Amino acid sequence: MCAASGSSSVRLPDFVRTTTFRSTLVIAGAFVLGTVLLFGFVYWQTAAYLTSSFDTLITGELHIIAAESPERRLAHINERLDNDPRHVRIAGLFAADGHRIAGNMDTLPGGLTPEVPADAVVVRVDTQGRKTENVRLATVRLAGGQILAIGRSNDEIAGIANIVGRSLMLGLLPAFGLAVVIGLLLSLRARRRLSEVNRRIKSIVAGDLRERLPTRKGNDPFDQLAASVNLMLGEIEALVHEIAGVGNDIAHDLRTPLTRVRARLERGRARAATLDELRGVVDQSIAGLDQSMAVVTALLRIAEIEHNRRLEGFGQVQLSPLLREVGDLYEPIAEDKRVTLQVEVADEATVHGDRDLLFEAVANLVDNAVKFTPEGGRVTLALLRRDGESVIQVKDTGPGISEAEREAVVRRFYRSDKSRNTEGLGLGLSLVAAIVKLHGFRLTIAAGPGCTTEIAVPTR
Amino acid sequence: MPRLLLIEDDKETADEIAAELGDRGFDVSWAADGIEGLAKARSGGADAMIVDRLLPGMDGLTVIETLRSEGNRTPVLVLSALGAVDERVRGLRSGGDDYLTKPFATVELVARIEALLRRPTESPDTVLRVGPLELDLIKRTAKRGERKIELLPREFRLLEYMMRRKDQMLTRAMLLEEVWNYKFVPQTNLVDVHMGRLRHKVDEPNELPMITNVRGVGFILRAPA
Repeated sequence: MCAASGSSSVRLPDFVRTTTFRSTLVIAGAFVLGTVLLFGFVYWQTAAYLTSSFDTLITGELHIIAAESPERRLAHINERLDNDPRHVRIAGLFAADGHRIAGNMDTLPGGLTPEVPADAVVVRVDTQGRKTENVRLATVRLAGGQILAIGRSNDEIAGIANIVGRSLMLGLLPAFGLAVVIGLLLSLRARRRLSEVNRRIKSIVAGDLRERLPTRKGNDPFDQLAASVNLMLGEIEALVHEIAGVGNDIAHDLRTPLTRVRARLERGRARAATLDELRGVVDQSIAGLDQSMAVVTALLRIAEIEHNRRLEGFGQVQLSPLLREVGDLYEPIAEDKRVTLQVEVADEATVHGDRDLLFEAVANLVDNAVKFTPEGGRVTLALLRRDGESVIQVKDTGPGISEAEREAVVRRFYRSDKSRNTEGLGLGLSLVAAIVKLHGFRLTIAAGPGCTTEIAVPTR
Repeated sequence: MPRLLLIEDDKETADEIAAELGDRGFDVSWAADGIEGLAKARSGGADAMIVDRLLPGMDGLTVIETLRSEGNRTPVLVLSALGAVDERVRGLRSGGDDYLTKPFATVELVARIEALLRRPTESPDTVLRVGPLELDLIKRTAKRGERKIELLPREFRLLEYMMRRKDQMLTRAMLLEEVWNYKFVPQTNLVDVHMGRLRHKVDEPNELPMITNVRGVGFILRAPA
């Protein structure tokens, strides 16, 4: 109980540690990195494109202005600067000594190669005052030593970087947040489900075999897994019940002879007057103990056969000699009981199986038939062919088995009440059923006058 | 006095077996685990060994395999709580000569030890003789004195088996395993019924009985006294 209440309330640190949440974080991180790289690439490409357009523009203008006459040149420079509502244009004409003749640049920055556009920092001087700016600038030395500089503010590129950065923030932060939230929700859900599964498994371990894992209509792997596990649990439950049932049966079938032995020994100890009487009691008791041991042995054999451990003994088995041999073996016993045992072989079938086990199965059927057939009756052991199958049929004129008892008869240890006083362990048919099942054959117990048991062998 | 080496870890079982075998005229020496048992077996002197399968120190089958690999041919009866057919096959394959599943009747154990000590000599004779009883293995005929005995094939095999082991106690389980090649215990007393048939044919009312039924144990074939 304590463990269940502890795991049902989910605290944050708990599910942050879950695998689902961690993988969400990893995926979100990868997404962020990818987006940043993409935006970076876009920015870099745009900036490169703009720079190269600026360069074309300013070199073009530089050449045009440089080619003009000195008067036209001054007018052109002024016209160019006047005609600049966005204040992006930069121009300057400097004397050879660096003195400014015209334009809106305070001084000519050093380190520039003539006619090659480059980034530079200049101080803009105009009606709005002085302002330091990042610019793209190209210069040319004119005849007479003057230097002409034409440029363009880099603000636009910075503006684009700004826009890219802002949209990155606007898109990325919510996306990342969303990923984290979804991750949290998913892990919370998985966690809830897992703790539910854990709770149920604990209750199964505690002994509640009827418990099943929760399933939903969905078809996700988790549901499929839960369905498989539930199937397995069902099988285990059925097996455990079977074992429990068998356990009860064993207890019963062992308790009966053991009780008799105990009573006999007690009586013998109290009543036996002579050594011979005591010996008689001991002999009976030993017989009772042997019977108990035989129950255990038979049970172990059934378990052995049911566990498919004898498949290595398989080979080709001819049925007709096998049937004749069984008939041969039981003929004297039937005769002693004044029961006619007849073997009719109308088929020459060869099957794939374990000869010893098949012999045991047929022998058991004949054994039962002879045992339950009253004096003067008849037992027929036949090999027939029907609907493309070989059928081993054992028919008797005994009391038969009622419809309701047929299924139960194959269950271990069951013995029809009528036969409780006949010797036998009640394990015969269970053993036959186990052998038949191992071979993939079919066992049927049919009604009729008397009892007809059949082992049908499907031909492949 | 035949000497036996018993390797069995459960002292109570060992004491019980030793006492019973002692009563029957055997000289039993006991080893409580596989290692001690192997040492005692190597020092020799045992005419037969009884080896429990599950032993502390060294598994019973390993003891037998080791001895066999060293050329020790002393007959071995394997005792085991493992009764499955496969286990039995494994026990015999490792060099055991016979296999007995626990729990067992002491008489069964004694009968099997005696059988091990007196392995039938595969005589080249084609005619087996016990007293007045004669079995011709070639002509497949049997007679007692001058009286011819008509035998079914299975009865012939049973009688042959018994004549090769005259004066020996043959338990039902031994007969089932060896004559009928049964690997299971049938619910009906098959052996008794078949033996009854054979006895009826071998011992006629006016003759001295040769086949004795020892109640609760098995059968012995003897020449009439």
